[in-house]
Amino acid sequence: MEDSLIAFEQLEVRYQAAAVPALKGLTLSLEHGIVGLLGPNGAGKSTLLKALLGLLTPSRGSGTVLGVALGGPESARLRARIGYMPEYDALIEDASAYEQVAFWGELSGLAPEAARDRAHEVLYFVGLDESRYRPVSGYSTGMRQRVKLAQALVHSPELIFLDEPTNGLDPDGRRRMLDLVLRVHAELGTGVILASHLLGDVERVADQLVILDQGEIKAAGSMAGLRKALARRVELRFLDPLDAGQEAGLVELGTVLEARNGLYDLELAETDPAGVFRWAQSRGATLVQVTPRHDRLDEVLLRALHPGRA
Amino acid sequence: MPIYAPTLPPAPDLTLGQPPALVLMRFDFTRLWRQKIGRFFGFTFLLLLLWKVARIYLDHLLHTNQALKPMQDFAKTILTQGAAFQADLLNPASYLLWFLVALVGGGLVARDTLYRVRPLMYAHPVTPRDYLLAKLGFASLLPFLILLPFALLPWLMSLLLAGAQGPVWVTAPLRLLPAMAISSVLMGSLAVGASSMAATPRAGVGWVLGLVLGASTLASMIHGLAGLPAVDALNPILLAETWPQLLVGVERPLVAWLPAVLGTAFHIGLWTWVAARRTRPSEAVI
Repeated sequence: MEDSLIAFEQLEVRYQAAAVPALKGLTLSLEHGIVGLLGPNGAGKSTLLKALLGLLTPSRGSGTVLGVALGGPESARLRARIGYMPEYDALIEDASAYEQVAFWGELSGLAPEAARDRAHEVLYFVGLDESRYRPVSGYSTGMRQRVKLAQALVHSPELIFLDEPTNGLDPDGRRRMLDLVLRVHAELGTGVILASHLLGDVERVADQLVILDQGEIKAAGSMAGLRKALARRVELRFLDPLDAGQEAGLVELGTVLEARNGLYDLELAETDPAGVFRWAQSRGATLVQVTPRHDRLDEVLLRALHPGRA
Repeated sequence: MPIYAPTLPPAPDLTLGQPPALVLMRFDFTRLWRQKIGRFFGFTFLLLLLWKVARIYLDHLLHTNQALKPMQDFAKTILTQGAAFQADLLNPASYLLWFLVALVGGGLVARDTLYRVRPLMYAHPVTPRDYLLAKLGFASLLPFLILLPFALLPWLMSLLLAGAQGPVWVTAPLRLLPAMAISSVLMGSLAVGASSMAATPRAGVGWVLGLVLGASTLASMIHGLAGLPAVDALNPILLAETWPQLLVGVERPLVAWLPAVLGTAFHIGLWTWVAARRTRPSEAVI
């Protein structure tokens, strides 16, 4: 548990006077990398981030972030090792980008002189070199997002939480922001937790995925592994056309989505495709091709959130 | 097209920084100085200070220049050297100071609420105690620093011009500084408590003025209806004026010792508690 980027066991967080806990006994271990955190509104993403930042004390269970126990006395010191880029515009409107990034640097523990130098470096890194002395009230959305990223990076954190970093950005701005996220991980070695509802963003940068809904983890793991586990759609091709009895028997494998010219598009009841071969052998059908139909990420998400829906 | 740096070097040592409460307070002072309101009040209080100092110098002239002898009797009526004169060194600025505290302090917490930067502060190594300490410190230090020259400069001038015989007591600062500290904390806690209940800085100003004037009106009404002068201790304006009087030993202070202590403790306790409740991390929406 200590070696993981983040690990928690039976983590439960309950708001005062709330009948239902906001996080219901989550157990998870995440390795160093870029983690995509997906889930609809009210899923518990923000509560999880609050708990990971040490702002909420778990009512049950335990967890560690960068090896430090959640809700413990070291929480405040732990936050010096974490960067946080909020979803909303948490900018001090009457201050310039340079002033506020230096301010956040000082709050993280940098000496005043060092914080000022560092503000220049980090604003240059995010591409705000020329306009850093202007008050942020005159900035475009893309520039504001970059200031928020700069304040999260100013103290060289080991882990950063990015909450909807591409919110409000045009396609080019999104691409640049995601490039920066990739650079942050690749060049600075910083672990990244990226909470987003834009599945394409997560798909592009994340190597691990956590799907959260109603305070529960619906699915978690590496992107590739998760897709594989959840991809139950296969296309079957048989040597000879199936007879009526064999076709009717396909329901034993799962739901037949489409049948045409000897090709059968199925959603398997089990994730293990070996059952298909056993079924073909028992029915006397010659199976010549099984093609996994890897789902798109949105299909993975929908399937995780609504397991009963075909 | 933004120009990106090749890469980012590691940050310097994170253990050399100042305490978070001090960083927050410094930032608020810098922000105030940048605003026009800071310069306006700086100028106004400077004029008031000059007036105070001019009165001391006039007193010196009246006592030392025989040509002005006929004026001395008149001067004695306006330049008393008793306890009331010492306490009055701080009083003319009282209403103006409350106004400044309302204008500046009203937005202190509310501005962070409006810009939603408080949750971000708590995402750094800042605890709610640091935050509250910084805001209370700033809101209390501001009136204290403004009053400081009003207590020290006339005293210094009086000492230089007339020695121990001057209009300002030699021991006056020892009595005025604690009184200023109590009054300033009273003002600061009320401003921070009121500001924490507001969603915008402008609403915060309204909250401070509403609470101060509302409490004053309520106290006056109860005093008038029930004939209880002790109820005046609910009036924060009166309390702030009373502390210098109590500590320099004015014969008839605006509020007696016990009600003043209870009233001040009530206000400081209540508004600090309100501010602490309203600035908890669980109140932060992230």
